[in-house]
Amino acid sequence: MTDLMSPKTPQWWKKSDVKKTFILWIISTAVIGYVGVEFHVRNMVAPASDTMSSVISLMRMFTWAAAPVAGLVAAMCITVLTTKRHYGDNPPEEADHEIRNSPKTAAVWVVVSGLFCLFALVGGLVVLQHDNEAILDKQAIQVNVTGQQWVWNFDYANGARSEDLYLPVNKPVVFHITSVDVKHSFWVVQMGIKMDANPGYTTETAVTPNKIGVFDVRCAELCGLLHAYMQTKVHVVSQADYDAWLSAHAATEAGA
Amino acid sequence: MSVETHAHHEHPDVVGSRNRLGVILLLVADIAFALSMVFVYFYLRGQNVNNMWLPAATSDHPAIEPLSAGPGWTVTAIAAFGLLAHMYGLKGARSQNQTQLKLGSLVALVASVIAIGYQYNTISSAPFTFSDGAYVSCFYMFAIMNMVHLLLTLFISFGNWNRARLGLYVENFWHVDIVRIWWIWMVVSSLLGAFSLSYP
Amino acid sequence: MTTLTQHTSTAPGKSIIEKLNVFTALALGVISAVVVWRLSLAFLPEDAEGARLFSREDKITLLSMCGWFVGFMTGIGALVGPMRWVMGKDLAHDENMFLAGENMGPKRYFRYTTDHKVVGIQYLFITILIFFLGGGMAMLIRTNLGTPEGGWLHPQAYNSIVGTHGILMIVGTIIMITGPFGNFIMPIMIGARDMAFPRLNALSFWLIVAAAVPLIWGQFIGGITTGWSAYNPLAGQAPLGMDGYIMYICIFAISTMVAGANITTTVVKMRAKGMTWNRTPIFIYGTVASVALALPAFPVFFLSQILSAFDRALDTSFYNVAGGGSGWLYENLFWIMGHPEVYVILIPAIAALMEMAPVFTRRPLFSFNVAVLGIAGISGLSVLVWAHHMYISGWAPLLNAPFMLTTELISIPTGMMFLVLIGTLWRGRLWMTMPLMSIFALLWNFMIGGITGIYLSDVPADAFLHGSMYVTAHFHYTLMGAGLTGALASLVYWFPKMTGRMFDKTLSWISFWLVQIGFNVAFIGMFMVGLAGQPRRVEAYAPTFNTANLVTTIGAYTIMIGMLVLLHGVISSARNGVKASKNPWQAKTLEWTVDYPIPLENFDVLPVVTTDPYGYGKAKS
Ligand code: HEM
Ligand SMILES: [Cu+2]
Ligand SMILES: [Cu+2]
Repeated sequence: MTDLMSPKTPQWWKKSDVKKTFILWIISTAVIGYVGVEFHVRNMVAPASDTMSSVISLMRMFTWAAAPVAGLVAAMCITVLTTKRHYGDNPPEEADHEIRNSPKTAAVWVVVSGLFCLFALVGGLVVLQHDNEAILDKQAIQVNVTGQQWVWNFDYANGARSEDLYLPVNKPVVFHITSVDVKHSFWVVQMGIKMDANPGYTTETAVTPNKIGVFDVRCAELCGLLHAYMQTKVHVVSQADYDAWLSAHAATEAGA
Repeated sequence: MSVETHAHHEHPDVVGSRNRLGVILLLVADIAFALSMVFVYFYLRGQNVNNMWLPAATSDHPAIEPLSAGPGWTVTAIAAFGLLAHMYGLKGARSQNQTQLKLGSLVALVASVIAIGYQYNTISSAPFTFSDGAYVSCFYMFAIMNMVHLLLTLFISFGNWNRARLGLYVENFWHVDIVRIWWIWMVVSSLLGAFSLSYP
Repeated sequence: MTTLTQHTSTAPGKSIIEKLNVFTALALGVISAVVVWRLSLAFLPEDAEGARLFSREDKITLLSMCGWFVGFMTGIGALVGPMRWVMGKDLAHDENMFLAGENMGPKRYFRYTTDHKVVGIQYLFITILIFFLGGGMAMLIRTNLGTPEGGWLHPQAYNSIVGTHGILMIVGTIIMITGPFGNFIMPIMIGARDMAFPRLNALSFWLIVAAAVPLIWGQFIGGITTGWSAYNPLAGQAPLGMDGYIMYICIFAISTMVAGANITTTVVKMRAKGMTWNRTPIFIYGTVASVALALPAFPVFFLSQILSAFDRALDTSFYNVAGGGSGWLYENLFWIMGHPEVYVILIPAIAALMEMAPVFTRRPLFSFNVAVLGIAGISGLSVLVWAHHMYISGWAPLLNAPFMLTTELISIPTGMMFLVLIGTLWRGRLWMTMPLMSIFALLWNFMIGGITGIYLSDVPADAFLHGSMYVTAHFHYTLMGAGLTGALASLVYWFPKMTGRMFDKTLSWISFWLVQIGFNVAFIGMFMVGLAGQPRRVEAYAPTFNTANLVTTIGAYTIMIGMLVLLHGVISSARNGVKASKNPWQAKTLEWTVDYPIPLENFDVLPVVTTDPYGYGKAKS
C-alpha cells in the first residue's frame, strides 16, 4: 500500500504541498488556539470561586489541545482549496493518483485522537475529584435550596429563610437542593456550579466563594411559564456581615 | 407479510427469507420496547420515591398489597401452549399433512383467545385504582401491553388459521414459519412481564 | 402470493384500493375524530375526586386523536394489505401494479403508492414542509429575542413555539436524508427494483402525515410548552397540547421502526449481484447505520410517551413524584433514545458527503475501511453515552466519570470520519460545485460542533455550560452545520436524478453562502451569550446579553433568506431547469446508469457489479 503522502517520492515531507500545509498548520494552530481561548475566556463571566477558575482553565487547556487537530484540518483544507480548482459544467480531469488507503496515516490519526481523549478525560477527572471533595467538608455551611415555580427559597441551619442567597466569603458551603413542583436547575453563574432541583429527591453540590460581591442565580432548566424570570442574587459578604444578617433573619423568623 | 412482487417474478424462498429478516428487525424494536418496560419497573422499584412504590395504609386508604404474579405466569403458559400448537401445525405443513396444519393453527388460535380472556380478567379484577402508587402503575403497564400483544397474536393466528384452512400453505409455507417467530416472542415478552412482577 | 393466480380483476378489495386516496383519508380521519370526541364526551365518567386536574379532558383528547389516526390510516388504505392477508386473498399482480402507481400520473403522489421513487418524492415534500414550518417558528423565536424584554410574544406562546420548533426540526432532520434519498436513491444505488417491503414503505410515509396533524392540533389546545425534550413532571402539568406531542411521537416512532426494518432488509437482502460489502457505496452504510440505530432507540421514546399519556389520562405514577414516580426515569428513557438519535441524524449526512467527495475530487474515497469502521464505531458507542445529558441532574453522580469516558471515546470514530473526508480532498482535483463546498462547510462546522461537544462532555465544564445557550449553539452546529449541510448538498447532487433537471447553479451558490455565513454568525453569537451565562429556552434575558442576541437574530434572518433562495431554486429548477443528462457528475454508482424518467422497476435487467464505485484517478504510470 502506498502512503498517503507519497505517491511518487519516498520522502513525502519534501513535497511542496506538504511543506505548505506544514507551515499553514503552525499558523492556523496558533490562530485557532489563540482566538478560541480568547473567545471563551473573554465571554465567560469573571470567576467568583476556584471552581469557576478551574472551569476557565479547563476550557483554555482543551482549546489549546484541540487547536492542532483543527489547525491540521484547516491547513489541509486551505492547501487543497488553493491548488487544483476547476470550474464548469463538466468534470475536471481525473486526479493524477489513485490512492485508496494509508494504514500508517490512519493508525497515527487514531492514536493521536486516542491520546487527545485520554488527556481530556484526565483533565476532567482531576477537577471533578477536587470539586467532589468539597461536598464532604465537615466545616461547611449547609444551605437548603428549594426550587418552586418560579422562585428560589434558601433555608439556613438556624431557621432563617430568604429568597436572596447570602454567603460568607472564603467559607465552603454545601447546597441541598430540591423542588416542590417540577424540575429546576440551580445555577450560580459566576461560581461555576449547577445542580438540578428534582421533585422527590435531594441533590448536593458545593462551592467556596472567594470574592465579595453580588452574583447571579438563574434557573437553567425550562420549568414552565415564567422560567425566564426565575432568577435571584447571591450576596457574598464578609463573615461578620454574614453573621449579622443570619441572626437578624433568624430573629424575624422567630418573631413572626 | 404477503409477497410483494411487481412485474418480475421472484422465487418464494427469496421472498420468504426477506420477510423473515424484516419481521426479525421489527421484533428488535419490540424487544427494545419490552426491555425498557422491565427497566421502568426495576428503576421505580429501586427508587421507591416518597415510599410510594407500595403505599402504606393511610386514614382513608388501606395499604397496597402486591398481587401474586401467578396470573402473569398463567398467561405465559397459555401462550406457550399456543406456540406448541402452532409448531405442531408447522410440522404438519412440513410433512405435507394439511390436516395437522389446520388443527395446530386452530388450537393456537383458541389459545390466543383464552389468553386474552384471562388477561382481561386479571386487569378488570385487580383491586386497584390507577393512582395507587408506582407498583400498581407498573402492574397496569405490563398487563395492558401484554393485552396489546395478545390482540396482535389473535389477529395473526386468526389469519394463519384462515389461510391454512383455505389451503394457501400447500406449496410453500414460510408464512407459517414467520408466525412461529412471532409466537416465540409473544411467549418471551409475556414471560418478561411475569418475571418482573414476581419481584414486587 | 406469487404462486397463486388470482388475476380476477373483480376481486372485492380492488375497487376499494382504487377509491382510497389522501382525501378519503382526511375525510375518514376527521369524521372518526369527531365521532370519538362526541362519544367520549357523552360517555366518559367524571373524574374521581382527588384525581389529577383535567384527566378527563386528557382522555377525551387522546381518544379523539387516536380516532383521527385510525380513521386516517384506514382511509389511506393501510389496512387493505393486512386484511387481505387475513382473508387469504393476497393482493394480485395487477393490484400490486396499481398500488405501485403504474401509468397513474401525478395522482400517485396522493395515494398509498408503493413505488420507492414516489415515496422518496413524498418524503422530500414533507421534509421541505417541516423545515418551512419549523424555520418560521425559529424566526418568531429569534425576533422575540432581538430585544431583552421579549415582550411581544406571551411566555406561553413563546414556550410552545420553542417546543414545537424543536420537535418539528428533530423529526425533519431525522428524515431529511434517509427519507427522500434513502427511498428514492438507495434502492437504485444498490441495483434493486424496489424496497424489500413496498407497502411498508408507503406506510412509513403516511404515518408521518398522520402524526403531523395531532402536533398542529396541539397548537390550538395550549401548545407544547415543555421544549422538545418534554421533561416530566413538567409535561405532566402542561396543557392539553401535550397530548398532541405524545401522539406525534408515538406515531412517528412507529414510522421509524417500519422504515428501519424496511431499509435494513432491502440493503441486506437485495443488493445487486456482485455488490459485496466491500463494493457497497458508503452512503448505503450510512443509511443503514442510521435506520438500524433508530430501530432499538425509538421504541424507548415510544414507551416514555405512552407512560406520559398514562400519567396524564389515567392518573398513574410513572413520573408523578407524589405517587412514587420519578423524573429521572423519564430523563433516562428520553436520552437512551435521545443520544443515538443525534447520530441517526448525523451519520447519513456525513456518509452522503463521503459519497460525493470522490465524485467532485476525481480520486478514490480515501480509506473506505476506516469510513466503515468510523460509522460502526459511532453507532456502537452512541448507545453508551446517554447520561452525558444528565450529569447535572444528580441521578447518579458516581456514573458521571464512566459516561465522561464513553462520551470522549466517541471522538475517535468521529476523527475517522474527518480523516476520510480530508484524506479524499487531499490531492484531489476540486470540481467547484455546491456539494463540494458543502464538504468544506461540514468540516468547519462539525469541527466546532465536535470540539464544543468535548467541552460539554467534561463534567466540571458542563456544570457551567449545561442548560445554557452554549448547548443550543453546540447542537445547532452539529445538527444544522453538519447534518443540514449534508442534506442540502444531497439535494443538489441528486436533484438531476429525481427531477431530470439540474439544480440552478447560481441559486445553489447564493443560498449556500447565505446559509453558511448566516449560520456561523447566528451561532457564534449564541456561544457568546451561553458563555456569558444566558440560560436556554428563556423568553427574556438580562440586558447585558443584548448585543450578541441581536447578532444571532441577524444571522438567523440571513439563514432564512438563504433557505428561501434555495426553495425558489427547487421550484424553478424542477419546473424549467436545464435538462440533465443521465450522469451529469460522471459518477460511478448505479443510480447514474438509469435514464430519466426512471421506469417503474428501475432496471429491466438487473445490473451486476464487479468493482467498487470509487475507481477514479489516473493509475501511476
Ligand atoms: C463529537 C462529539 C460530540 C460530543 C462529545 C457531544 C457531547 C454533548 C454533550 C455532553 C451534550 C450535553 C450538554 C448538556 O446538556 O449539558 C450534548 C448535547 C447535545 N448534542 Fe452533542 N456531542 C457531540 C456531537 C453531537 C452531534 C454529532 C450531534 C447531532 C448531530 C449532537 C447533538 C446534540 C444535541 C441535540 C444536544 C442537546 C440536547 C438538548 O439538551 O436539547 N451532538 N452533546
Ligand atoms: Cu425553574
Ligand atoms: Cu448526547
